[in-house]
Amino acid sequence: MNLFRSEEHLERWLEDREPGGTTSAGNLCQLAYAWYGDRLDPDWQPRTVEQNQRILDDLGLTGEFWRLS
Amino acid sequence: MNSLDVGVRNFLYRSFAERAKTPSLEDVEAEFGLERVAAESVLRRLHDAHALVLEPDSVQLRMLSPFSCVPTAWRVHAAGRTWYANCAWDSFAVCAALHSDGRIDASCADCGDPIEIEIKDGRAAPDDHLFHVLVPARHWWDDIVFT
Repeated sequence: MNLFRSEEHLERWLEDREPGGTTSAGNLCQLAYAWYGDRLDPDWQPRTVEQNQRILDDLGLTGEFWRLS
Repeated sequence: MNSLDVGVRNFLYRSFAERAKTPSLEDVEAEFGLERVAAESVLRRLHDAHALVLEPDSVQLRMLSPFSCVPTAWRVHAAGRTWYANCAWDSFAVCAALHSDGRIDASCADCGDPIEIEIKDGRAAPDDHLFHVLVPARHWWDDIVFT
């Protein structure tokens, strides 16, 4: 899971590798808050796969690549 | 994950965040009055449940995601300290977990140039760098260190 300055940098880094999943740093930040915002809560409980999938879906991270199961 | 497992998991996170030190097996034993073998079993169950990541072939903590218990190239300045994250996603998540503004010090995986991102009120600035993950989501935990 990496950061790149631009699409051009990402394409150069990929070379012949199959591209994976891409999103903007802004969307990644929203994902981080939705996924990890409760991580230090004293009453933390594990989420289900379905709950995690909904977080991805809500941020437009959809399609086969982003399926958790 | 039973109630003891969740309690140990929450203790490990709280301890790490408050003490700036990776909690040890001995800390778990003392906090919960557990024998060594029982404390090890809890940590291994938490590892298997993806609630934390242990070093290979040991019960030493490697990841309390988004925090890394070992130095990495992903540094985050937040809540008055510098933290290590496990990857690009986790670097943003350190601020999310701490409910703190902060600054991410990272670099472009292609050219190595520094990338600095400020996190304020849950928003990134700048927000136009690209995040990329090679591994499909259903395989993230096949080898989480590689992912």
